[in-house]
Amino acid sequence: MARLSFRALLLAGVLMAGSASAQVLEVAVDASPVGLDPHRATAFSTFQMINGTIYEGLTAIDKDLRVRPGIAESWTVSADGKTYTFKIRAGMTFHDGSKVEAADVVATINRVLSKDIASPLASRLAALDTATAPDANTVVLQLKEPTAPLLVSIATIAIVPRSMETEKEALQRAPIGTGPFKFKEWQANGFVALEKHAGYWRQGAPKLDGIKFNIVPESATRQVGLSSGQYSMLPNIDAATAMQLKGRPGVKLAETLELAYMFVGVNTSKPPFDNVKVRQAVNYALNRQEVIAAALFGAGVPGGPLSPALKDWATPVEQFACYKHDPARAQALLREAGHTAPVAITINVLPRQDIRDMAQVVQAQLNKAGFRVELKNQELGQFIQDWRNSNFDMFASTNAGSPDPDDYFFRTFRTGGSTNVFKYSNTELDGLLDGARTLQDQAARKAAYDKAQAILACDGPIMHIAYGQLFTAMRANVNGFEIIANRSLSTLADTTAGR
Amino acid sequence: MLRRLLLARLVDLAVVLVAVSVIVFAMIRLIPGDAVAIMLGANTEVTPAAIAALRAQIGLDQPIYVQYFGWISKVLQGDLGTSLWTGKPVAGEIAAHVWPTVQLTVLALVIGAGLAVPAGCLMARWRGGGADAAMRVATVAGLTIPSFWLGIVMILVLATVAPSLQLLGYVPFSVDPVGNITRLALPAFALGLPILANLSRLVRSAMLDALGQDYIRTARAKGVPERGVVYRHALRNALIPFVTSVGIMTGYLLGGAIVVEQVFAIPGLGRLILGAIAERNYPLLQATILMVTLGFVVVNFVVDLLYLAIDPRVRA
Repeated sequence: MARLSFRALLLAGVLMAGSASAQVLEVAVDASPVGLDPHRATAFSTFQMINGTIYEGLTAIDKDLRVRPGIAESWTVSADGKTYTFKIRAGMTFHDGSKVEAADVVATINRVLSKDIASPLASRLAALDTATAPDANTVVLQLKEPTAPLLVSIATIAIVPRSMETEKEALQRAPIGTGPFKFKEWQANGFVALEKHAGYWRQGAPKLDGIKFNIVPESATRQVGLSSGQYSMLPNIDAATAMQLKGRPGVKLAETLELAYMFVGVNTSKPPFDNVKVRQAVNYALNRQEVIAAALFGAGVPGGPLSPALKDWATPVEQFACYKHDPARAQALLREAGHTAPVAITINVLPRQDIRDMAQVVQAQLNKAGFRVELKNQELGQFIQDWRNSNFDMFASTNAGSPDPDDYFFRTFRTGGSTNVFKYSNTELDGLLDGARTLQDQAARKAAYDKAQAILACDGPIMHIAYGQLFTAMRANVNGFEIIANRSLSTLADTTAGR
Repeated sequence: MLRRLLLARLVDLAVVLVAVSVIVFAMIRLIPGDAVAIMLGANTEVTPAAIAALRAQIGLDQPIYVQYFGWISKVLQGDLGTSLWTGKPVAGEIAAHVWPTVQLTVLALVIGAGLAVPAGCLMARWRGGGADAAMRVATVAGLTIPSFWLGIVMILVLATVAPSLQLLGYVPFSVDPVGNITRLALPAFALGLPILANLSRLVRSAMLDALGQDYIRTARAKGVPERGVVYRHALRNALIPFVTSVGIMTGYLLGGAIVVEQVFAIPGLGRLILGAIAERNYPLLQATILMVTLGFVVVNFVVDLLYLAIDPRVRA
C-alpha cells in the first residue's frame, strides 16, 4: 500500500513537471528584483523582468533601437515641436480588467512627477509643461521647449492604472500593467512567475502561457540548469559565460552589439585630470583592442561616445585621432602638462568580473605611458557612494547607454547634468546639447551630435573603451525570441517553447 | 535547581538578543552606501533631490539612535517592520524563508548526526584496525571538502548522468512532495557530510574515553555482554559532548547554510540574509538576524534540557 501511494506521488510529480515545461518558459536570472514598481525600482534586475512583459509605455523601442507605437497607436507633433498628441489604442485592458484610457496616462505622468513617489524617472519629463486628456482616447503633452528625444524617453515610462496614482507600495509587490504577461506570484529569492494576459491587445500574442524568472545567484548553477534543460533561457549574459555555453548540445545563442559600454571616467574638478592634456594622454595610452581581447574574449568592438549599434548616430572610431594607440605621444602630453615624474592615480573598480579584467589591462597600459596606477576593488555600495559624491580620480565601470544621444549626453556631460559626477563643464558642448534637443530635423540633429562626439571622444571626462557583444543563451526549442541591445526582454511576447 | 537553570538561561537569552540587536543595527549602517543608492542603481538618471526624498521616506535622515529606539520599541510590541523593497511585513518574509532552511537543517542533521553515532561506535570498537583507519581517513576527507564545492560537483555529475532530474531550486513539500525531496537531497547530503565526519570522530574519541573508565571494567567483570557495555554504559556517557556539538551545529545550520543555499538556488534564510545585506534592507536584515539568534539560543536551551535527560547528576 505504501509503495502504491509512493508510485502515485511519483506519477503526479512527473505529470506536473511535464505540463509545466510545455508552455511556461523557465528563465534563470542572477538577482532578485528590487521591487516591481516601474517608477520606483529602476535597477536593472527589475527592468529586465518588467519592461515589455508586464508593462508597456506610450511608445516602445524595437530590436533595431527605433521608436515604434506602444500603447499609443499613433501620434502627431506640432510644427513648433512643443505639442505631442497621442492616440490611445482602442480596446486595451489592464491586467485588473479595467479599460486603458487617456486618464490613466495622465495619472501615470502625475505619479512619476509626484514628490511623494520620488521617481528617478521624473528627470525624463523635465521638459513637460502639462499633460491633459481632452477625450478618453487622446493624450496631449505640452512641452516648455521643443525636446526631440521625448519619444524615446517615454518608451520606458510604464503606464499604470489611474487608481495607482498616489499608491506607494502596492505596485512594488503586485504590479498591474498592460503588457502581454501579468504578474502571478513572487516567491522571495525563489522566483517571479508571470502568466498570459488573455486580454492583450495584439492578436496572437503572447504565445507562451507564462514565464518563470528563477532567481539563481550562482553562475555555475545557471549554466548547469540550462545544459540539463531545467532552465530554457539565460538572458543578457556576458561573453565569458556565453563562450562556456557555446556548442553544448541543445543550447543556442542569440547575440547583438551592446548599447552598454565599458569605460574609465575621471574627475575633471581636480588634478591631474582637470588638465585636458592628461585626459588626452589617457586616450593615447589605451590600447582598446588589447582590452577587448583580455576582458571580453574578443567579443566586442572599440567604440566612441555612442555605441556603434546606433547606426543612425555613431561616428566611426577611425575619425578620432586620440584612439590611435601611442604611448610615446601620451608621455609627451604628460610632459607638456608639467608632469616630470609618473602621475600617481587610483582607479575605483566596479565589482564585476569583466570590469575588473578591463581595469587590470588599463592599469598595465597606463603604467607604460607615464602613469602610476593603483587599483581599488570596491564593494558595490561603496563604489556607488564614491561615484555619487565624485570621490575618485578615475573609476572603471559600465553604463547602460540609451537609444537617443540626448538622453545620455545631456545628463552626463552637460554642466550640472544629473549624472555629471565628473564635474565636467564645457561651454561649447553645453551650447551644442542645448541646441540639439530643440531641433526636429534629423540631419541637423546629427550634425550637432557629430560635433559633440568629436569633442567628447578625446577631451571629455569619459574614455569610452569598448562595446561588448551581449548574449542570450536558450534551449534549442525556444523560438521567436530576439535579443535587444537595451536588454529589454519584450520579444518574449512572440517567443514559443516547443518540445 | 531546574528553576534556577531556566531562569539563568532566560537572562542569558535577553542579554544576547539586546547585544545582537545593537551590533546588527550599527554594523549594517557602517557599510558604505545605503538602501536608496542600491534601489536606484548606479546608472540611472537620479537627482540629489530624489535621493533626499527617498531617504526621508525611509527615515534614514534621522540620527542613528532615534532610528534604533524607534525600531526596537516596535519590535518589543511584536512589530518587526516592513521590507524596504517590497513593503511586505518582515515577519511574513521570514516565515516564507524559514521552511526551506528548517527542512535542510533537519535533513542534514539526520544524515550527519544520525549516521555519526553508529559510525563512531564502530570505529571505537574496531580501534586500531584497518576498518577504523580507513574510516578515519574518510572522515578527514569529509572535514576538508567544502560543502559548496561538493555541491557544485554533485550538480555537474548528476546533470550529465541524469539530465532529466529536477535538481535546482525549491518547491514546497505541500505542492510537490517528490520534487521537494529530490531537490533537497543533494544539498542536505553536501551539508551533512562534513557534520558526519566531524561528529563521528567526536563520538569515536568520546567512546574510547568512556570505554577506558573504571565502571566499564566493572560492567565487564560482572558479565554484561560487550554490546551492552558499549551501547548502554559507554555510549550514554559519550553522548554529552555529542549533544553539545549537535546543538551548536543546528544553530549554525539554522542561520542558513548560506553558500549551499546559494549554489542550489534554495530560497532559505541564508539567501534572505545575504540579499538583505546586498540591498541594505535594514529592517529585514535586523529582524532576520534577531530571529536566527533567537533560534540559536533556543536550540542551546533545548540542549541544556537534554543534559538533564542524559545525565542524572545535572538534576541533583
